[in-house]
Amino acid sequence: MRKESKRSTVVPEHTVSRGDMLDRRTFIKRTTKGAAAVAASTAVGGMPWVTSAMAAVSQDTPDARAIAGAKALLGRRQVRQLTILEPSGSLGDIVPVAKEWTRLTGVEIKYIEVPLLEIAQRVLQEAVARTGAWDLALPASFALPDIAESGVVVDLTDLAQKYRPDDGVAGCQMLYPIANYYKGRLYGFGTDGDTYMMFYRKDLLEDAQEQTRFQQEHGYKLAIPETWEELDAQVKYFHRPDKNLYGGALFRSRGFIAWEWNIRFHGKGRWLFDDNMKPQINSEAGVKAAEEMLAITKYLDPGARSNGLFENFEAYGSGRSYCNIGWGGSQKYFWDPKKSKVYGKLAWGMAPGGKVNGKKFYAPYFNWGWNYVVNRYSRAPELAYLFAQFAYSPKMSTQAVRFRGGYFDPFRTCHYTDPVIREIYGDGFLAVHRQSMTHNFPDLYLKGHGEYWDVLDANLQSADVGKKTPKQALDETAAAWEKITNRVGREKQIAQWRFVKAHYPPELAKILA
Amino acid sequence: MKATVAANSTRNVEAQAEGIRPTLVQHIPFAVWLIVPAEIVLLSVVVFPTLMSLWLSLTSWTPTSGVNWWQAEFQWLANYVQLLFGDERFRAALLRTLLIVVVGVAAEISIGLSLALLFFDDFPWKKIAISAIILPMMIVPVDAANAFFMLFRDVGPVNQLVRILVGHPVRFAWLSDSNLAIVPILLVEIWQWTPLMFLMLLTGLMALPQNQLRAAVALGASRWQLFRRIILPLIAPVVVLSLVIRSVEIFKIFDPVYILTRGGPGTSTETLSMWMYDNGFVYFRIAYVAAAGFLVLLVVLAYVLLILRPLSRRTAAER
Repeated sequence: MRKESKRSTVVPEHTVSRGDMLDRRTFIKRTTKGAAAVAASTAVGGMPWVTSAMAAVSQDTPDARAIAGAKALLGRRQVRQLTILEPSGSLGDIVPVAKEWTRLTGVEIKYIEVPLLEIAQRVLQEAVARTGAWDLALPASFALPDIAESGVVVDLTDLAQKYRPDDGVAGCQMLYPIANYYKGRLYGFGTDGDTYMMFYRKDLLEDAQEQTRFQQEHGYKLAIPETWEELDAQVKYFHRPDKNLYGGALFRSRGFIAWEWNIRFHGKGRWLFDDNMKPQINSEAGVKAAEEMLAITKYLDPGARSNGLFENFEAYGSGRSYCNIGWGGSQKYFWDPKKSKVYGKLAWGMAPGGKVNGKKFYAPYFNWGWNYVVNRYSRAPELAYLFAQFAYSPKMSTQAVRFRGGYFDPFRTCHYTDPVIREIYGDGFLAVHRQSMTHNFPDLYLKGHGEYWDVLDANLQSADVGKKTPKQALDETAAAWEKITNRVGREKQIAQWRFVKAHYPPELAKILA
Repeated sequence: MKATVAANSTRNVEAQAEGIRPTLVQHIPFAVWLIVPAEIVLLSVVVFPTLMSLWLSLTSWTPTSGVNWWQAEFQWLANYVQLLFGDERFRAALLRTLLIVVVGVAAEISIGLSLALLFFDDFPWKKIAISAIILPMMIVPVDAANAFFMLFRDVGPVNQLVRILVGHPVRFAWLSDSNLAIVPILLVEIWQWTPLMFLMLLTGLMALPQNQLRAAVALGASRWQLFRRIILPLIAPVVVLSLVIRSVEIFKIFDPVYILTRGGPGTSTETLSMWMYDNGFVYFRIAYVAAAGFLVLLVVLAYVLLILRPLSRRTAAER
């Protein structure tokens, strides 16, 4: 795979030093560009603390600064408890960090657990209720624009300038910082490297007989696919239902189907919107991406249209499919010999892309993630901020990611060298994951994300079951997107869209039209 | 003793209030003062939210707007107009929900009444059998829906059973075929709530005047005549009441839809509650959903009045 990448992809081969330099500097550069775009449109400032992030690395660390800051605050205040509103299933990741925080500061952490998909609603309820019942929350990264616009969370930019969360993290940079920002202002601290990745059956992929046969049939080598065209060919090739083997376990279910289409669409070399926020999804490229995607549904696991995440784990873990798509959490399941029959039989790849101007490219995609945010109505917002910085720090985030049963995946460079994390995920997976995290394009961080995405999702699924044609589904989606944009405010959306675009990986941004 | 204390406290209250607003206190009986706290609670949990929803339904407010709800932009009936004339998905969800109500309630009442008639006569182990029948309604709806999700998955037991019955591999896409997906949703609803219908109707049967039944039997009435001429007219009020209760409940159907299909494939099983959930809690269009809520209230009210009509006529005739 590495060899192939060098030969024909425009995504640069990732190395440790290159990755570290790229992430930090590129991010600062892109952020400056994005913030300038935003400032021009909305008169909102950039990220002043970034300047301090560029300063020479000092001996102190973000976690140490957070603890010192908390101790200084506690000298003046009586707050001895913070409450976190957290999505179900995340406690295992948070508790080790919280225990350490309590040991060092004496501030207890309490939890309010809410269903995974309902956390954004619960955060937004605070816009009406203003209870201050929780100090921090952990909503999904894609909900951050809505949450930030509601005014229910604190703009952390000034606090970050004061406590410098990114100073003293040499060798442990955050690989995907864009999800922490909205219109150039810091609103949250990411805790999870949710880049979307491909899983392949290595035993089939490297089988000599399969390789020969595939080469004869297709005229090119059977290898980790770089484009969707190659992937679709492999899905069809390995689809042998009479032998209880399906081409893939890719999702066709509600809540999941739009993500794959989005990658395929990027693989066709188009932006989701033009510069005036006019949707490009119903363009020829969008329709083709949908048609190709729906054409392989029949080669997928029989449960593809109804499988949720855990059913997908079970389906692929049973060994009855050639390939799958998922996150680090998927790998934790598949890489557990007690649960999975594909343990030891996997190869991994970044999400495939396409071929534009004769050049192949991957289109890795970040499509979930969680961010610590601070409640505006908290009795101790600064203390809550300090906990978030503490949890986000290299040292403590490593503790969080180490939890085998949790879903926080590596997102800092040093996570990839931690022995416990390496054991949980396996080195092969981590190498590709890091590469994907470094080059993935961002989710659609716009206000109204939920609505934009759900409309697309529902229409694509209608097309998948034959209720609509792909063209009709995407035309209807585009019309709905226009209505959403108009309702939310076009100028506002244009400003944020520019910010998001400015944070696309440059190698992909160059291709997109 | 109690009467004396009450009279004293009445005088005290009146005496204290006399200095402030003597005429008002004199005109409000003491008993009314006693219910004031309860009324305040009722006002705060029912009337205030209703008025707040009504206000919101006339605005464009969303929690993501960063504006206080009472300062939201007023837009008269724009949400209502949009819902009635511009939102095809809402209208489809409304019709789909009505269909589920009609089919679901019809099935539940048929099965429930049949079972109730069966259990009207005594037989050994009757109490245990009744307990077994009413078990499903004691299960948490989400768990019941999840059990059906497992049963109806493409590789689940239902398809395995069909395979055994027909003798060759058959795979119905129960949850992902837009024509079939409504079936498991209806089945879980019928399976879980028919017992309630059975219980209500059995109670109605047991309260029938035994003299009339015995007299009819003595005069040679057949079982069908007994049912058609005596039992059915007598339990009609119970049947109508059961219909109303279950119809109103099914109108709110959410758990099975959310767990089994999330309204999909596409929007082919999207019910009103699912539509409201998506619009309120995924799209955060609270004002729009508030308007939809009032429209649905009107529809449910009309539906209930329609069902109650024969009963009202009968009551009027009896008077």
